[in-house]
Amino acid sequence: MDLTSHVQFTPLDYFWTFAYLVLMIGCGAIFYRMGKRSGSDFFLAGRGLPWWLPATSNFATHTATDTPIWFSGLVYKHGLFGIWYSFFAGWCAISAWVSTRIFRRSLAGTQAEWQTLRFSGLGAELMRGWLAGWQVAMCMFIAGWVGIAMGKVCGFAFGWPLWVGLVLFSTLCCLYVIAAGYWGVIIADVQQGITMLIVIILVSVWVGIKVGGPAKIVQVLDPQMLNPFRTSGLFSGEYSVLWLITMIAVPFLGGFGMATHFDWFVEAQRIQSAKNVRDASYSIWGGTLAVIVRNSIWALAVLGVYVIAEHSTSTSLIAAKREDMAWFIAGFKFFPVGMVGFFFAAILAIHISTIAGILNLGSMYATRDLYHHYINPGASEKQVVWIGRMTTVVVLLGSFFFGMMIGEDIVEWLLFALWFMTAGTWVPNILQVIWWRFNAWGYLASWIANLGICWLVVWILPAYGMMENWEKHQQFWLLIFLIALIYIPVTLLTKPDDMDRLVKLYVQTRPIGFWGPVKREAERRGLLKALDEIDKKAERAAEKEEI
Amino acid sequence: MSLIKRTWTPHEADEWTKEDWIAIIISPFSYVLIGIGLAMSLFLLPLGFLLLGIGIVITVIMFYVIDPKLKAISEGYEKKQREYLKELDKIQRWEEK
Repeated sequence: MDLTSHVQFTPLDYFWTFAYLVLMIGCGAIFYRMGKRSGSDFFLAGRGLPWWLPATSNFATHTATDTPIWFSGLVYKHGLFGIWYSFFAGWCAISAWVSTRIFRRSLAGTQAEWQTLRFSGLGAELMRGWLAGWQVAMCMFIAGWVGIAMGKVCGFAFGWPLWVGLVLFSTLCCLYVIAAGYWGVIIADVQQGITMLIVIILVSVWVGIKVGGPAKIVQVLDPQMLNPFRTSGLFSGEYSVLWLITMIAVPFLGGFGMATHFDWFVEAQRIQSAKNVRDASYSIWGGTLAVIVRNSIWALAVLGVYVIAEHSTSTSLIAAKREDMAWFIAGFKFFPVGMVGFFFAAILAIHISTIAGILNLGSMYATRDLYHHYINPGASEKQVVWIGRMTTVVVLLGSFFFGMMIGEDIVEWLLFALWFMTAGTWVPNILQVIWWRFNAWGYLASWIANLGICWLVVWILPAYGMMENWEKHQQFWLLIFLIALIYIPVTLLTKPDDMDRLVKLYVQTRPIGFWGPVKREAERRGLLKALDEIDKKAERAAEKEEI
Repeated sequence: MSLIKRTWTPHEADEWTKEDWIAIIISPFSYVLIGIGLAMSLFLLPLGFLLLGIGIVITVIMFYVIDPKLKAISEGYEKKQREYLKELDKIQRWEEK
């Protein structure tokens, strides 16, 4: 069996694919009326969702077309150790109980909006404008690399040129995002999330049976491939303890802050769309648990394909350099006739759910933070929704540009964009939540400095032989150190933020960490006591109503 | 006084307490044990079942500890949310500052 040959569709496969496309787009577009009611509906579904809706959306959005490519490559190469790489999503473990609670209480629609609540004056406005512009560009970039991953999958399966997969399905998805905004995204995500989870389980079961059961895989594989705890020493080698600690500690501790990972920006929208703090916390925790469970299920399919490809057939995926396609091969080659179309429909669900979320997110930053905040503060709800629709198309077009630029080097770009372009801001992203004295100028300095220095450390200096090409985690820690040399003096040499703003934020969100002077000021002004009185009054009113 | 507080007023729940820290510490272990445990269990490795089992137990404990507090925070905060949203609308508009 040639595992890398193109896929042949039967009429039943075409039926699954078309029926599913109509269902997905229809499911989203049907919420057209709700999406157009207001800006809050178009971008936050009215802030009233029960936890399981944003949780499913969280899972669906973070299961993108590039994810099984990336994860297959890791598990194929490192065995179960590869699962550790996927714990970058672990920031939600702590965030669900810390920064999610604080952010939900702030009521900021976006991370950019949070800047004008957390900081004050010109620095806050500069940070808001900067983050909004940055996020619009990042959403184009992410939709581009997810789109090009779809191009790669379609090229592998059907022999289509790269651009066809990129342009065709993202454009179809854009239709319902334009029509129904976040309402369309969230409802379609539920249906897409359930579909993809079923297919992910089915593929693993199918491959498990095909290979002769899990016991057979254990019998054939090198035991090290099934050992997630293997090490190659403290500081060096592929499985060094330092690398493991970096992979685990960085994302988990990042949960104390905000924006420590690109996914935070996506989750921020889900956090604010939940109906209250508890539902926001559960949506983040539950959605990420589903992501982690998904990875474990994927590992079975990938290692099953490994056994078949490297031990039972003449098609070695390592030799063909196609190991990153292992999960797709599992579905396309091992599913029975008719089910292949269903598998492709699930790939479309995986693709479209991510693209839809990212298009709406990019449009939210462009509309709420750039247009409504700076250009037309008096805009009506109707104008806000229309600008939202237009900027959705702009983000889509930008994604085509970035997609073609990235080409097939998805993993290299992904690592750079998600890992290094934010490495130096990792600590400042936490400080903005836990330390009252950290101000807008320090935060702005860290972003600007990191953007310049990361290019030097990762690409430019090693290319000219002026610096050794360090391991990825070593470059990460170097960036954290170098950028701290800039933002710490900037913070301490500039004034703290306005106390009125800090007190207001403290009373409303109750941030964790070092907020002593702000808390004392809030107490001095009698604000905490006043809030307590409001609580008691509201409780008494509720009791009276019950009687 | 019980080890874990299960009844909260919204005002009490606003403070960061040991219940929050219990959830913060358990939560990463919960993800890791369930993730690694499930992956190993799917290959029928005995250690996997053990890790998965511990992961599920500590997850139940975590929710038992944090849920009453989150409920109290949510109830208390929902009452104030409308007032805050009005205030936010003012901050949102750059011209009004």
